[in-house]
Amino acid sequence: MARSGDRGELLATGLRPGPVREPSALEISEGATWVAAARDGDRAAFGQLYERYARMVHGVLLAKVPVGDVDDLVQDVFILALRRLSTLRETASFGAWLAAIARNVAHDYHRRSVPEEPLPDDASDQEIQCGASGGVQDGPSAAILEAVMSLSETHRETLILRLVEGMTGPEIAGRTGMTHGSVRVNLHRGMEQLRAKLSAGPSRVGPKQEKS
Amino acid sequence: MDTGNNRTENRPSIKSDDYLWDRSGEPDPEIQHLETLLGRFRHDSPTPVFPEIVPERRWTFFPRRLRLFPALATAAVGMAAIVAVTFLVYRTKPTPTTLAGWDVSDVQGTPRIGQKTISAKEGASRLGIGQMLETDRQSRASLRADDIGQIQVDPSTRLRLLSMGSGLKRIALDRGTIHTYIWAPPGQFVVDTPSAVTVDLGCAYTLQVDDSGAGMVRTSMGWVGFELNGHESFIPAGAACATRPKVGPGTPYFEDASAEFRAALARFNFEDSTAQQRADDAAIVLREARQRDALTLWHLLARVDDGQRVLVYNRLSKLAPPPATVTKEGILRLDQAMLDLWWNELGFDDISVWRHWERSWAGSETPGHEK
Repeated sequence: MARSGDRGELLATGLRPGPVREPSALEISEGATWVAAARDGDRAAFGQLYERYARMVHGVLLAKVPVGDVDDLVQDVFILALRRLSTLRETASFGAWLAAIARNVAHDYHRRSVPEEPLPDDASDQEIQCGASGGVQDGPSAAILEAVMSLSETHRETLILRLVEGMTGPEIAGRTGMTHGSVRVNLHRGMEQLRAKLSAGPSRVGPKQEKS
Repeated sequence: MDTGNNRTENRPSIKSDDYLWDRSGEPDPEIQHLETLLGRFRHDSPTPVFPEIVPERRWTFFPRRLRLFPALATAAVGMAAIVAVTFLVYRTKPTPTTLAGWDVSDVQGTPRIGQKTISAKEGASRLGIGQMLETDRQSRASLRADDIGQIQVDPSTRLRLLSMGSGLKRIALDRGTIHTYIWAPPGQFVVDTPSAVTVDLGCAYTLQVDDSGAGMVRTSMGWVGFELNGHESFIPAGAACATRPKVGPGTPYFEDASAEFRAALARFNFEDSTAQQRADDAAIVLREARQRDALTLWHLLARVDDGQRVLVYNRLSKLAPPPATVTKEGILRLDQAMLDLWWNELGFDDISVWRHWERSWAGSETPGHEK
């Protein structure tokens, strides 16, 4: 997506545009070169793509599936990408394409493992058990992850990429194909909501996230 | 248990977020604390050994060996020309799988692409640009495009592929039901219906169109934009929205809302009611609204008259208070920026994705289509 118009969105939310580290031309051309090489059968190039994008894929999945299953699904995503690489027409869209595969894999995971039935109106607890904190022992880390998982899908994915995977906002935008403005707004609003939840204590959850 | 709560009190709601954004500026101890605690879930697996990649086969005009023997090469070209002419003479239709389009699979019954009937016994088929896929009452099919997504086509459905490529990926659903799962970037996959344009914003959804051209979208993941001539509705996961020819999208709602709520909303949206009846229906919707029905109330702000808008504002403020930068006066005059800020506060999704779509694509094609 183009990145025009972000400034207005940021100002509208009270955020300053601030310093932005755009992906360098070298990074962009390297990525495109690796995609092209991998498409030609170069496994080392695909390994480089894994190195660059694994955290992003891990974060996208962690926002949607239990933490104990994330590593396996990361591998599934890359294997799937490997098989479909010849169908990718725009090498520059590799990150967004890979993120979409990751979301698709997470969707399939839930379709396979969760019976499809309407959720009761107050289903937050159940949703959180299905989320990323499943399988993690109690502790402050799990409690905070649980709070993150109670945020809306958009906010929790971006916040996980920043706080768990340690990616900066520009990196998140560059890897996922989102606009800088969207990432910055998601981070800002996600943190606001997270602060509110942490201040309110562990029993306070909502707004409800929809079952995916 | 220290969850960092003690670090979150008495903070201004808007502060410099440079550290949160890119770790520049003054380090924020709260963010650092969260990074430390959550960092234990970070990806740390080494690069696995991937299976061998089979590169896409590329056609070359002259195999290397033929380049060494010009006479042989000439003969090969001659043979190729004969084969090509033979093919052109005897073919009756283009081979479907050579067309740019969506692959058709999981065929049940005998759907048609154009006038040609396809079946599971035949090989792969493809729906090309400009072609129509039609299922009868016993037929089904799946469409798949690796860069876009997957569509399941139910019986009694007719759709047409309008465009693909790097811009909008567009189909028209004339009637019937499709279930879409889209992995193209948000805003790129669009379905025209006779009464609204459906814009994928990163989601899975079901879209139905009846013989009158009326439609219904139900979102199961992500969210969908529904638009006709600037009249727009956003439908997050779990919600639904109806649309009618010449009217456009109604007000979206969660399907677990009370029956009274849904009935009043349907009347409000589409019945040719008096002003008093509309006011009465709006009052029922406000009375029956739960917290998550803020979705519906936010849309109603722009659809009620000035006198009712303040009532909607008051109810919505109780269910989902607006952010500090949003004022009652701004909402009552339908200030777009404030409405967007309030939407983002509802926790469904970031409306800037939709605004970006509007700037990029809205108006580039005629919304809706003739049946």
